[in-house]
Formats: sequence, C-alpha cells, structure tokens
Amino acid sequence: MDPVNLANLRRVLAVRGLTPASAVPDASGGRTDEACIREARLLEGSALDWIPVGAAEPWPDPLAFLDGMQRSELLAYAGASVIVAGEIAAAVRERRHCRLATVVEERRLLAIGRPAALEAAGDALSGFQLVALPEDEPPHPIRDQANAARALDRARGGLELSIGDRYRARSDGWLVVDGSLTESPVWSADARMLGVAKSHATLPFDGADLDRYLRLPQGHRSSLYVPQTRSLTPVHAWALRLWPWEGKDLFHGLVRIEVAPINGTPAMAGLLSRWLLAERAPISAPDARWDRLLYGIHSVETYLRAQVRALA
Amino acid sequence: MPHPVPPIGRVVATELKPSTPHQFHFWTARESPIGIGAIVRVEEAERVVYGVVTDGFAYSDLATPLHAVIGSDGDPVAAGAEPSRRAEIRLFSAAVLRQIPEEPLQPVPLGSVWLASDADVVLALRMDSYTTGERPTGIPVGLYAAGGHESPVYLDCDFLLGPEAAHLNITGVSGLATKTSAVEFLLASIFQTFPAHKGSVAALCFNVKGPDLCFLDQPATLSEEDRRLYAKLGLRPEPFGDAHYYAPFKADGVNLNTLRTNDALSANTEPLVWGLREVLDYAEVVLNRDDVDAKADAFIDFLAERVVGREYQDDMLRGKPFRVQSFADLEEFFRAIFDFMEVLGKGGEVWKTHHLATIRKIRNRLTNISTRSKGLVTDDGDAHDLPWGAFRDRSVHVVDVAGLDPLAQDLVFARIVSKLREHLERRDLGVDHVVVFVDELNKYAPADGPDTYVRKMLLDLSERGRYLGLVLFSAQQFRSQVQRRVVGNAGTAVYGRMDMDELTTPGYAAVSPATKIKLATLPKGELMLRHPHFTQPIFVKFPRPAVLGSREGIERFPPATELAFADAVARQLRGMDRRVSADAVRALVDGRREDEVRRALAATRRERAAEPLAFFTACLGRRVNGEVLQGRRGIPAVKRADDGYGF
Repeated sequence: MDPVNLANLRRVLAVRGLTPASAVPDASGGRTDEACIREARLLEGSALDWIPVGAAEPWPDPLAFLDGMQRSELLAYAGASVIVAGEIAAAVRERRHCRLATVVEERRLLAIGRPAALEAAGDALSGFQLVALPEDEPPHPIRDQANAARALDRARGGLELSIGDRYRARSDGWLVVDGSLTESPVWSADARMLGVAKSHATLPFDGADLDRYLRLPQGHRSSLYVPQTRSLTPVHAWALRLWPWEGKDLFHGLVRIEVAPINGTPAMAGLLSRWLLAERAPISAPDARWDRLLYGIHSVETYLRAQVRALA
Repeated sequence: MPHPVPPIGRVVATELKPSTPHQFHFWTARESPIGIGAIVRVEEAERVVYGVVTDGFAYSDLATPLHAVIGSDGDPVAAGAEPSRRAEIRLFSAAVLRQIPEEPLQPVPLGSVWLASDADVVLALRMDSYTTGERPTGIPVGLYAAGGHESPVYLDCDFLLGPEAAHLNITGVSGLATKTSAVEFLLASIFQTFPAHKGSVAALCFNVKGPDLCFLDQPATLSEEDRRLYAKLGLRPEPFGDAHYYAPFKADGVNLNTLRTNDALSANTEPLVWGLREVLDYAEVVLNRDDVDAKADAFIDFLAERVVGREYQDDMLRGKPFRVQSFADLEEFFRAIFDFMEVLGKGGEVWKTHHLATIRKIRNRLTNISTRSKGLVTDDGDAHDLPWGAFRDRSVHVVDVAGLDPLAQDLVFARIVSKLREHLERRDLGVDHVVVFVDELNKYAPADGPDTYVRKMLLDLSERGRYLGLVLFSAQQFRSQVQRRVVGNAGTAVYGRMDMDELTTPGYAAVSPATKIKLATLPKGELMLRHPHFTQPIFVKFPRPAVLGSREGIERFPPATELAFADAVARQLRGMDRRVSADAVRALVDGRREDEVRRALAATRRERAAEPLAFFTACLGRRVNGEVLQGRRGIPAVKRADDGYGF
C-alpha cells in the first residue's frame, strides 16, 4: 500500500476502529518562535553602531545552501489521541559557476502520536517512521497536536543537522544555513558555516539600542555581538540590512548573521557582509520574504517543495 | 526493455497544458539536442508515441520583469553579474506523428522522452509500410537530422507519382538554391530509385528563367559533405545521363534562343520549331479569349478541319487547289479570299457564311502569332518537335522557354502538356510516367486574374493527371498567389525558406509560430516536407544536386555569341556531326536565300542523316549561278553619210 495515500490510510484506520480526521493543524507552516528580547553582549565598541560594509563582492565558488521543510496532516484519532502524518525533508544545493545543483538531500515520512495510538494503527503505518509523543498527561487532541508539531520541528532540525554533516563530509566549502547555527555545537564551531536568520522574534537589544538596531541603514552592519541563546553553543552575530527599509518596514531587508566565534572579527564580518550583499540578486520574489530570503535558500525550498509527494 | 541511451526529457501535463492524443509537452535539461522539427519517442508501459517538436519555451522562476530590475538596482550590467542563475525550464510542445498501438487512441502518457533513432524515424513517419517488403516504393528525399542522428526520409512513389496521390509543389523565396535544387535532386533520386515494378519514368522540365535548368547533364563539383549525404541516402552523385534540350530559334531562324549555346553542349540541344498545324490546334491558347467568340471559333474550326494540311479546292477563289501547310500558305489563302471579296464589291461581306470581319480578325491574330513567336513558329511549315512516342525511361527533356514571349510560353506549355496527355492516354509515349516541372507557377496558374487556357490545363493536370501517370512538380515563391486547387492537389508539399509576409497568410495558420520562424530562417539545402504518410511536416536536408548549377554552368560553358547566319547554320550542322567544317558550310550557303537554307537545315535535322553535310548539300540543290544581265543593246541609229537631213 502506498503509505502516502492518506485517504486510503484513513479508510484502513477506520476499519481498525480509529476515527479518521481531516483538520489541518496550524503548526504545519513551520517552526514557531516566541517573541522576546534576550540581551546580547556587544563585542565591538561600547555601544551598538552602524558600520558600512562597502560594495558587494561575489562569493567565491563553491557556495552551498542548506534548508529543510516540513508538512503535516492530522491523520486519525485513536480514542482521543491524535495520529499526525508528517513529511520532513532537507537538502543542500551547491553553487558552482552560477548554477545551483542539489548535492545532498533526504526526506522522511513520520507518524506522530501516543504509543498506544500508534500501536492501534499497527502495520497500517508501515513506511512511516514512528515518533511517540509523551504520555505524562492524559490525551488531549489539541495539546497533542501542538506536541506533534514540536516533535516534527525537532525531527526536521535533526534531519537538517544530518544533511549538514553529510555535506561537510564531502566538501569544506562555505555552507549557508537558513536560520540559526546554535542548533548544533558542531555548526556553531564550523569555520565555514554561516547562519542567516530572517526571523526577529528574538531580539538582542532593547531601548535605544533596539531602535538603532532596527533602523540599520542599507549596506550597513551592526556591531558584532554574542546573542544569548538557550543552547550552550556560543556564536557571534551581527545584523545586516540588505535592502533599504525606509518607506517600508523596520524589518524589511534585515537579517541576523551568525558565525562561529573564529569568524566573529570585524574584518571577517565585513567580508561576509559584502559577500552576502552580492547574494541579494536574484531576488526570491514572489516569495513574501524576498527581502530577507537569499535566492540560494529559496532554491532549496523550491526544490524540496517540488519533490514532496502529495499527501493525498 | 532497458534502453542503451538515457532519456532526454519527460512528458509533463497540467490542466492548462494537458496531453492530448495529438499533442504533448515535455521538458529537457538546459543543454539538449532537441530543436524545432526534432522527432522524439515517448514510452510508457506498452504504449509508444512518436512526435515532432513544434514549439519550444524557456522561462525562469522570475515572476515579473520588475523583480529583475529590483534585484539589480536598475542596472543591466549588475543584472548580468548575479551570482546565481535562476532556475529555468526548457519546455517543448510536440505534435503526435504516430501512436503504437494506434487503437485505442489515447492522450500521450506521462513517460520519458527519447530522441528518435533511425528505426524510430521509420516508424514515426510510417515509412515501414512502403520501404520494406518485396515491392518497396520509397524514394529518398533527404535526411532528417537532429542531435547527431541522420536518418534517411523516403517518399512513397505511389503517393508522389500516382496512382494513390501525386504531384509535388515547392514554395520558397528565390535565390536560396532551394526550389530548383530540390527538384533536380528529387528527380535524380526518382530516376535512381523508382522501382522497376512501377514501370518507366521520364521528366519534362520547362526552363522559364535564365540558365536554371540548362546544365542537367553536366557534373557538379561536390564537397565531401555532399558526397557523404548521397552515400547516406544510398544515391549516386551523378548528373542526368539521358538529357535532351529543346529551344526555339531566335528571330533569324538559325540561332537558338537559349543560354545553352556553347559548342560543347550542342550535341543534345535541339531546336523547337512548330508550324501552322501545331499552332492551330491550340489557337485558343494564343488568341485572346474575348476575341474567340462563336463566329471566330467556327471559322478556326473550318480552317483546321477543311483547309490546313489538306487540299482545298474552291473554284471561286482560284482555279488550282490550295495546299495550306504553313503560315505563308495560309496568308496566300486569306489573300485569295480578300481578293475574291473585293471583286464582289459591295455584296461581298460574307464568304461561306463567315463574315469578312471575322475572317480578317482571325487572319490578323494568326499572323500575329508568327510575328510574336518568330523562332518558335515557322512560316515555312517544317516543324521540329519533341520525340513524341519515343520518350526513354529515365530521360529528361528540358524545354527552354526563358527567352520566349509570354504568349509563346503559354503556347509551348499548352501544346506540350496536351501532347503528353494524349500520348499517355494512348499509352504510346514510350514511358509510363512523366514528371512535368513548371517553375513560377504563380505566373501560369495565378490565384487571381482571368481563367486562361494554361491555368485550366494545369488545374486539369493536377486533378486528373495522376490516373494517366502525368505528374506535376511545380514551384513558386508565394504559394498563396497560386490557384488553390492546383497546389491543393499536390500530395507532397515542400517548403524552403519562406518570406515572413507569406507565412502570415491564412494558408499557414496551422503552422506553429516556432515552425514559422524556422521556415523564415531555413538555411540552404533544408526543407520542410508534407507527405500523405507524414501526419506532421518534417524538416529534412538534402545534398547539393550533382548537376552543374546555373552560375557555374554559365562560367564553364559561356553561351556562344550570336553568330552570323552562315556560322549559325554551321554550328547547327556541327551539332549533328562534329566533322562538319565551318568554312565548308559558309561556302555552301554563301549567296543562297536564307529561307532555302533554313528549309534544308530543317530537313537535315528531321531526317537525322548519317552524313548531315552531304544531306544538307543535297537539300540545297545545285547552285543556280546568277546571270549578270547585260544591258540590252539598243538599236543603233542608222547614220548615213548621205542622209540629206543630217541624221
């Protein structure tokens, strides 16, 4: 039986006494962040400053981009317990001579639920990697769905780490990751990795520094700082304005760059910023995040979306 | 079954671009050998579909051009320096040539796409039905080429020369060595590969401009590439071995009105001369249709049936019978009628129920023919015609009408095609099939204008010729300007490089935009082909014809300068016998009347004497030396000394 044909799967589960479901959970759009301010430690100067980075410079070959994707769908209920079907995928696309090509990729099908619910489904879920939800609380369909979404997030993060390691095993070229490097201590220490975070739910400053941080002019970077993260792996970071924000939004074109501490020098930050400025084009429109989404990352997303099998 | 070569694409179908039983779309890698006109094979499960690429598209993930402007800050130079090339697609549309199995006819499956191999091309174009078996009927017409593959393409002679379908029409702009070259190549191919079980074949070409077809018997210097193409097609690169040329005389009656007058080519270049009988049968061609009313028709019939070529006795006109064999005799006959009417005076307006005005009109028109077509039409009645009844298998006959007045050209077309038809109906031409090649068809069978005899004749030929084995190969620059039924009856249509204006006419509505562009930019030696077995047009290339081209021909065999009467006669005789000395001929004709010499020359030609000079001399007869008359001596005055008056 095709494990991806959820309509069939729902019918099989119904035969086994489970209740087929059809709602789409909110969490399917991606990982969630909690909006907060975590004070960062400045590494450069005594106050947050705007530093012009200079003219854009092309990034030398090869340059690779890593990203992942996830999607999920509520599959069934076993009593009050939910079973969520999800798919995660991650890939690295490497650029040589201006052409991007996928060099490492992997995708997995996941069935997420309480152990009893997964057991009730039996071999109907063959082909899925089973992910058990904690049973420390009684079943609650809404809470369980939120837990499933977090489990899917973690699984996706794990897959991205695995894919990143596989790429590093075959190449020592620069690897740009969509998001933070703090997911992995290995990444945080990798001298040829760079994280580009589009999300600003967690901000590194408050007060006047935050105003200054958010009003960074185009073509400038912020002073270097060490973000405060929940993980124990320190990285060095700075903000970079890719596109002018004036007349648009404070976050327009604003990205946070994370590198291993070894690259957290003003000179390296300037060089990497100039390289990143060159990556503004081609723009990844019509994606709504085109002002912060590098085309290489967009290319990985497009590739993964095109490859994803229909959860019919 | 595993394929030794990897696929080059994959069929895609969306709601907006679905696969249908007659069309599909596929994408390929950015670098692929696919181009417009390429033949591809789709395989999925038990179904194989062959298609020909009709259109191509490329686009990137750029949603709007404005995004490119934004991405480069409005600087085109920066746009070219983007570090990543956008994702892009090469998407092709293909028209289905054949599906196997043919039933049930279904939409093209979403399978892998391969470039067609030689064997695929045979199947795709349904050539397997006529190039294999015990009685193959394939005629090589060119090579289909794509992605390093070159596959011979064959026409089915049952559909090219009849009886299933017939005729071929070529369209293309002038000066790109397409139309004439293609016909020369195809005729050579037909002559080399026309199957014995289909009978015999000959060709008759009208050379309507310059030296286009004047050197079909002379070999061309071919490149290695051309020789390779000939070898690939299984043909021998050689000129026509049995070629015959016919051209009318110029007004002097001895110099041929053709560019093929070089001495080295005179052996198979013969005059085309017609007399009154040949012209009168086609009077309708040369007389303005408005002139030929019922009364005029009746008088022409009277002349044709009662007078010309017969002994006509009318005691009222003169005592001895008329023997009207030539225009000169006819003029004498008309003169007698007018003299007789003049004698009758006022009451003499009708002769044998024909009004004097009608007789005068016909006399004027017919006399005008011999004036306007001087050189083709002879006054003295000695005709020299094509070898009716003695056409040989694989012979080509070229009638050079390039230097003729349009009226005379019409006469030549009408009479020759009609004679071919008559002989083929009686099965006594000497061959079973004749290919008639007419260039500039828009001039002879125009879409607009009066319904001339020639146009009606070409229409009749295109509609009924195939049953007789009379096949029309025609060419023109603009197909849209030719009578639709004439080109519509051509089973095979060939297109060389086309004018873009022509391609916008309704006749090309079914051709895809990309195919139109390809047609408008076709290089020399490439053609688009429609044939009854091919469900879609196919592009092929063909080698340069193995015959000398017009420009090289003229350089290698420059036309002889127009000669004085005696020298022109000598050249004609040398054409029959190389031993004939020009000095001897000059001495023979010196002082003779030109019409006498022309008559003797015509007789020599007609008899094909073993010793032409001796026969010519005999025809001329004994020279009657002119006698210088002494002035008559007057009677001298008688002068006597004793004359008393002093006289």
